[in-house]
Amino acid sequence: MKISIKREQGSVLVEALSNRINFLEMRKYLIIPSVIIMFILGWVGCSDFPVDEDGLLITERAECYVSNFELLGADFQTVRTQNAVIDTTAQTIGVEVFFGTDLKNLYPQFSLVTDAKLDPKITGKVDFSDLANPKQWTVVSGNRQVRKTYTVFITVQQQQ
Amino acid sequence: MQRKYYSLIPIMFLIVFLFACQEDEYSLPEPGTELQNDAIKRTLGPNVVGLNLEFAYAMALPQDEGKIVSAEVEASIAGAAGTYLENKSYYTNGSGDDIGVVVGGPSATTGKTTVVTFTKDTCAATLRYYYVIPEEARGNEVTFTFSAKASNGESVSYNMGPYAVANMDLKLDLVATDGAACYLSIADMALYDAAGAAANPDKIDLVYLYRSISGITFAHALVSPAAESQYLPGVNLPSGVNNSTKQMKAWDLRDQQLARLQYGVFIDDLDFQELDFAGAPNFAINMKAESGLWVETEDGKYRAYIFVNGVNNSNKNMTLSIKRYQMN
Repeated sequence: MKISIKREQGSVLVEALSNRINFLEMRKYLIIPSVIIMFILGWVGCSDFPVDEDGLLITERAECYVSNFELLGADFQTVRTQNAVIDTTAQTIGVEVFFGTDLKNLYPQFSLVTDAKLDPKITGKVDFSDLANPKQWTVVSGNRQVRKTYTVFITVQQQQ
Repeated sequence: MQRKYYSLIPIMFLIVFLFACQEDEYSLPEPGTELQNDAIKRTLGPNVVGLNLEFAYAMALPQDEGKIVSAEVEASIAGAAGTYLENKSYYTNGSGDDIGVVVGGPSATTGKTTVVTFTKDTCAATLRYYYVIPEEARGNEVTFTFSAKASNGESVSYNMGPYAVANMDLKLDLVATDGAACYLSIADMALYDAAGAAANPDKIDLVYLYRSISGITFAHALVSPAAESQYLPGVNLPSGVNNSTKQMKAWDLRDQQLARLQYGVFIDDLDFQELDFAGAPNFAINMKAESGLWVETEDGKYRAYIFVNGVNNSNKNMTLSIKRYQMN
């Protein structure tokens, strides 16, 4: 009877030892593939979508146009009398503003196609008072390969 | 970790939950046995000369200890005419209305001190104090000491402040009428007709006009006398009226003290100090109700915010309120 108990204890010990070895081996097989996967992910993540000098993603989109244009006065209210006319072929934007608009202190707002950006950047008020020399902005496509320069023509509402 | 330790986790959770859910027993607060008081300031925003500072002063003692005899407020700078302490104690009824109950005689103000002597046998009251900010307080700080006396000889006091009083001025509800009282002086914060403007030409900073012109949106305008003539159609300026006032239109800036609407927006001295009028025009066309206008006089002495309380196309007039700040 005593012998059989010892045998049972011995077999439990062997089984626990064997489990421990299996766990250590399994850990070895887990760690190596994990490191490899992380390395691959890191490599792919860094190389697939580069960023430009502004920290914006450079994508594969080649579309390059202005989809909407807004012009706000110093009180951040629109000064347009009607919707801006955007000609993406001629690359022009025509805006009629209210009589008495302060043309020296306006905030233009461009809506662009996905991933595109504007050059130069608009950082504050813009002086549109020189109507003979309209302002220009260049739209740069998402892949940064296409550049289109738009000219903004302002007309002031006139008495009839 | 060995498997046997996992069995301890549920026990630990049980212990945490047991203690976390245990509530402290609530006990009714013990009322004080002596005369007590408290005060709150009811007005918000900058403290402008001529406006009120309003407080609510509460005082109470146990009923069997006696009754309140008097309440007093002492301001560090004597209030202007109209300063008073209410002789009514207010409570709010079920409809949310404040109901006043007379508890004493009308307040008496002597110098810096305003007193209400109680005539009702009451052991608790909340009185409101209205301090009209005097000219002497401009740019200074003002403090208040509220105090109450009870019939058992006890007295208490409560200090409030200091409160900084703004340097700016305020003028409400000037009515500018096209072709009549249409010449606005920021220095005087007043409107003049043509004769008045001719008598004070150097003080006229803006001209109000209303025009309905085909093809353009002109409507209500505030224009500098020196602006281009296209912005002053049909206006014959009195001799010598030629100031060029810098202007910046504003929207959604409904100062509560000017507009007296529900918006919690206040213009203070600092706002005037930080304005940048570089490149600002000298005309503002198509001014609408609840819009505003920042202005700087030609000599740079004053900056102001003009709020349009209302416009009337039929009567061709505009109601406006002004906050004005004198630059150094």
